Amino acid sequence: MSSQVNGVLNQAAARIVKSVADFVPGLLAFVVILLFGVLLAAIARRMIRSSLRGIEFDRRVKQWGLSELAEWSPSHSPSLLMAGLAYWLIILTGALVGLSALDASVTSVLVLRLFNYLPNVLAAILILAVGFFLARFFARSVLISAVNMQVQSARLLSLGVKWLVMLLAGAMALEHLGIGGDIVRLSFAILFGGIVLALALAVGLGSKDMVSRSLERQAGRSADEEEIAGRFHHL
Amino acid sequence: MEALSEETREQLGRIGTANVVLGIPTFNNRETIGRIAEASLAALGNHLASQSAVIVNADGASKDGTPERLREVIGDKVPLLQVRYPMYPVRRLSAPLAGVPGRQEAAGSIFQLARQLGAGVCAVCDADLENVTGEWIDRLVSPVLDDGIDLVVPCYLRHKFDGMLNSGIVSPFLRALYGRRLRQPVGADLAFSAKLMDFYAGQENSNGDAPSLIDPWNTVPVIANGFRIGQTFLGPRAVHPREVAPDLSDTLRQVLATVFDPLERTAAFWQKVRGSEEVAWFGPPLEVNCDPAEINVKRMIDSFRLGCQDLAGIWNLVLPPATLLELRRMLRLPDTEFCFHDDTWARTVYDFALGYHLRAIGRDHLLQAMTPLYWGWVASIVKELQEADSEQVEERLERLSRQFETQKRYLISRWRWPDRFSP
Repeated sequence: MSSQVNGVLNQAAARIVKSVADFVPGLLAFVVILLFGVLLAAIARRMIRSSLRGIEFDRRVKQWGLSELAEWSPSHSPSLLMAGLAYWLIILTGALVGLSALDASVTSVLVLRLFNYLPNVLAAILILAVGFFLARFFARSVLISAVNMQVQSARLLSLGVKWLVMLLAGAMALEHLGIGGDIVRLSFAILFGGIVLALALAVGLGSKDMVSRSLERQAGRSADEEEIAGRFHHL
Repeated sequence: MEALSEETREQLGRIGTANVVLGIPTFNNRETIGRIAEASLAALGNHLASQSAVIVNADGASKDGTPERLREVIGDKVPLLQVRYPMYPVRRLSAPLAGVPGRQEAAGSIFQLARQLGAGVCAVCDADLENVTGEWIDRLVSPVLDDGIDLVVPCYLRHKFDGMLNSGIVSPFLRALYGRRLRQPVGADLAFSAKLMDFYAGQENSNGDAPSLIDPWNTVPVIANGFRIGQTFLGPRAVHPREVAPDLSDTLRQVLATVFDPLERTAAFWQKVRGSEEVAWFGPPLEVNCDPAEINVKRMIDSFRLGCQDLAGIWNLVLPPATLLELRRMLRLPDTEFCFHDDTWARTVYDFALGYHLRAIGRDHLLQAMTPLYWGWVASIVKELQEADSEQVEERLERLSRQFETQKRYLISRWRWPDRFSP
């Protein structure tokens, strides 16, 4: 009886030792790959930082009107942000490649899925970036035009346009990532429709007097401007 | 430029040569084309009777029978050449400040024919002028024929509060940078010498395959390339009201783009220019019209204040802290004490020129964002000149121009070391 128990325990111990022995090389490979990734990431970070400094990237970013990017960056330097992003991207890729070296079916499938999902993430980032630029452009256009037309709530209008475009871009990005599914689409439709309906009701019911006063004022102003323009030929 | 049609070549062959070409670009100007045609006939019948002349009409495919109407008025009295200039769709989309859409291409077609005719001078007048006379054409053409001037720009009779964009920005800016005192550098009716037409025709595209005309209404290339320039007094300018006219911010955008665009190309030239010199005057001088005018300055100041409140985020990208501080001080002034000092105004214009060069933000946005500042300056000058006579107006504008010259050092410093001065 005891010899049977010993035999089973020995077999179990041998299986565990074999599993550990099978796993250790994979783990070593994972650590080596990760270390190599960290080294590669550090080199890439240094090279990117010095090349961006060489082309005066920080100054150019300000010139391109992306001052928000500088505000979000560590030490207010978009070069550091770019270098940091590249650093962590390489480490993440190294970690994923290292995981596949463990030769475990679950991790392999996970890595494969993550790699398959990566294009969606990149597309979502691209959509968000384009949405951000468009939002800024439209917000600025609306702000300048509204101020030049002497609309008192120009900033509010501009802010509204900016967030509307950002919201649209966000909903598109989430749909691309497959997060939320129909809920995002429905929420966006309800929110957008709600805003339009609220505005229509506000104009139609609650604020009709205010709107009519505002239109009257606008008409009076137009007449004034025409009167001035009649005397004023700017060129 | 377009290849000439067989018919035009035949006409050119029949006409031979001409010393004077009167160019009329048209695009749906049936209502007013008669006046400019009659003025041309009057000029060629009286003042320029000794000259062999041809009228060249470049039409942008008018649909209202403009070319037919012109043929009807001119008849056989003077040789008339009619061509079609290429009208690109993009030209139709934006309302031009003056003249016809695509006037650059129209001028190119006219110059091409003028050079084929061997003309020594070509005067180009807008077809929508309502009060043009033969004398105007003579005053434009004579300085080229008699005094060897290459470009004659007009000086129209104006009310003291007209042409503020010209008096407050274009004229002092060009004077300070390029050293020529032109009263109205953005006039619409001009005369060109053969040498200048050759210069324009010689400008090639970057790929070098087809001549591309730089804007002949822009005086900067003329000054920067050493051509002789003159200005002639004309009468008051009345144009036929247009269906679609650009609003102020669009006008400001178009004019300032014309003024700021050549800065990069001519940087080596304007940085060497010191002071300014008078440009030759022709024709009997005209005094500024100083009839009293009731102007609502409050509305302009309100526009300035609204800009200060809402556009500060954009102005911060272009203007240095000292200017922003001064603008904030002006924001708090009551209407009666409101004043835009000349030095602040000159530096502001220079800052926007630099912002345009550095592309601090999108160029169209940048120029349109200047509208409230311009209203502020107009309000200040209108308040100041409300009771002024023509001499006082001239003296005041001269003082402003001198301030632009004084502040030019500021522009040069910022141009050379933008980072050191960046806001």
